Amino acid sequence: MRRLLLSAAVFVAVLAPSAPAWAHAQLVKAVPARDAALPSAPSTVELTFSEDLNPEFTTIVVSDVARQRVPASAPAVDGPSGTLTLGRPLNDGAYTVAYRVVSADGHTVQGSYGFTVGDPTPPVAAPAPGSAGIPPAVLIGLGGLGVVLAGAAAYLYLSGKRRRMTT
Amino acid sequence: MTSRRHLLTGAAAAGLGAAAGAGLTAVAGADNVVPAAAVEPLTTGTATVPFHGPRQAGIAEDPPAHAAFVAFTLPAGTDRRALARMMRLLTDDARRLTQGVPALGDTDATLAPLPSRLTVTFGLGPGLYRAAGLKAPVADLPEFRIDRLERRWSGGDLLLQICADDPLTVAHTQRMLIKDTRPFAAVRWVQQGFRRSPGVQAPEHTQRNVMGQLDGTANPRGAEIDPAVWNADGSTTLVVRRVRAEMETWDILSVADKENAVGRRLDSGAPLSGAQEHDEPDFTKLDASGLPAMPDFSHVTRAHVTDPALKILRRPYNYDGAPNAAGRPDSGLIFASYQKDIARQFVPIQQRLAEKDLLNEWITPIGSAVFAVPPGCDEDGWIGEQVLG
Repeated sequence: MRRLLLSAAVFVAVLAPSAPAWAHAQLVKAVPARDAALPSAPSTVELTFSEDLNPEFTTIVVSDVARQRVPASAPAVDGPSGTLTLGRPLNDGAYTVAYRVVSADGHTVQGSYGFTVGDPTPPVAAPAPGSAGIPPAVLIGLGGLGVVLAGAAAYLYLSGKRRRMTT
Repeated sequence: MTSRRHLLTGAAAAGLGAAAGAGLTAVAGADNVVPAAAVEPLTTGTATVPFHGPRQAGIAEDPPAHAAFVAFTLPAGTDRRALARMMRLLTDDARRLTQGVPALGDTDATLAPLPSRLTVTFGLGPGLYRAAGLKAPVADLPEFRIDRLERRWSGGDLLLQICADDPLTVAHTQRMLIKDTRPFAAVRWVQQGFRRSPGVQAPEHTQRNVMGQLDGTANPRGAEIDPAVWNADGSTTLVVRRVRAEMETWDILSVADKENAVGRRLDSGAPLSGAQEHDEPDFTKLDASGLPAMPDFSHVTRAHVTDPALKILRRPYNYDGAPNAAGRPDSGLIFASYQKDIARQFVPIQQRLAEKDLLNEWITPIGSAVFAVPPGCDEDGWIGEQVLG
């Protein structure tokens, strides 16, 4: 029983330090959406995250296929949403939306996605740099695997120790 | 057994030797004569920085490893003549001690001969000019929204910046100068700080602060110092700010998060747009997704100055006080910067940083003071003569 409790304690100990990682801001909604094929040009881009944004630390840019930035206002921040008003109508083509925001704990979150306007040329979404590049599901899977392995190791270690003590 | 007896005999002999040595030192100490053997020709200890000259020492030289910033408050009723007497006395102390000579009436003369690049730099606060009935060339800084200033680290009518490569030299100098200032002014605050010890790194290396960042990469160097720091008459100005590092929350960031906050790589100090520490940051460079390589909220992006005449010469020291019972550190930076004109050079930079700088999440200004730094003096002169003479 004691061994089980200790193993459980190790589970918690391994989980606890990673807790802030689960609280990082994540992009939960985007208009236009990822890979959207729009019949007509949008005038704004609105990104909504899982926590409130700090307007000082919120960067949202839209670039065309030649990586030229589309002129736009500074993003207007309202709670968890940042809205970019584009300075000119978008021509037909592929565009990349990129964002860099800061979580409440100071962690920088950045990523990007593509959409197209009118006659679709294949969207050229740049790979998302940084930690945002790894899908959350994979991170969760890896984290879970780590917890299971740590728990198993603790169990084996403790049971080994007990065996040594009893002999 | 034999070997143990041997050891014991040896130890007894060594003890006798030590006792004899102590006796000799005691005899010599009674006469206030330093035995020649006590001062070995090690360059770190005997190195001196010239005190006399048109500009004060302790500014443009590579900063020594240890510093004490000592600020004083003048009592009401202090007049210009008293201030002149005080500055004459302190100048005399500094000119002797910086050259390894005991101050007049030095109560611990044996501590004087290893100056270790000792410098004493004098700063005059706005209150000193008011007391003298003069218009001050410096004014208190405006309030910045990031400030959490504490009185115990702020203001001051007179400042002594004492720097040396050895902490005992700094301690002795601080003691002598405070003793001689006591009839004229009260100690307001003392901030003691450190950098890397001599010999640890080549002098031209940029130092790291307690947060692990290379600090001072953008400093003017060599010929760049003159147009940023010195007025024609040899005067300059000094800003001293105590900046607490919020180590507990800083520690939980990843390296990438820290680099985004600073705008530089932690290991090399290179800007995120470049490869080498001294590469000029390129704020137009975009990454593959179209984001600026230098985050627009990073410290370097916000603090960057291109005009050489608007740069400031940072001369900071780390501080690391005793942690509290919970083990939380009391660490940070004694930020010290020299510039011709505080309002024209320092304030705009600090204003930009106060408005937007991700690093603000982990640093808190808790002290602030400004001083005019008068020109240097020659053998017959004294610091402050042009102002108070």
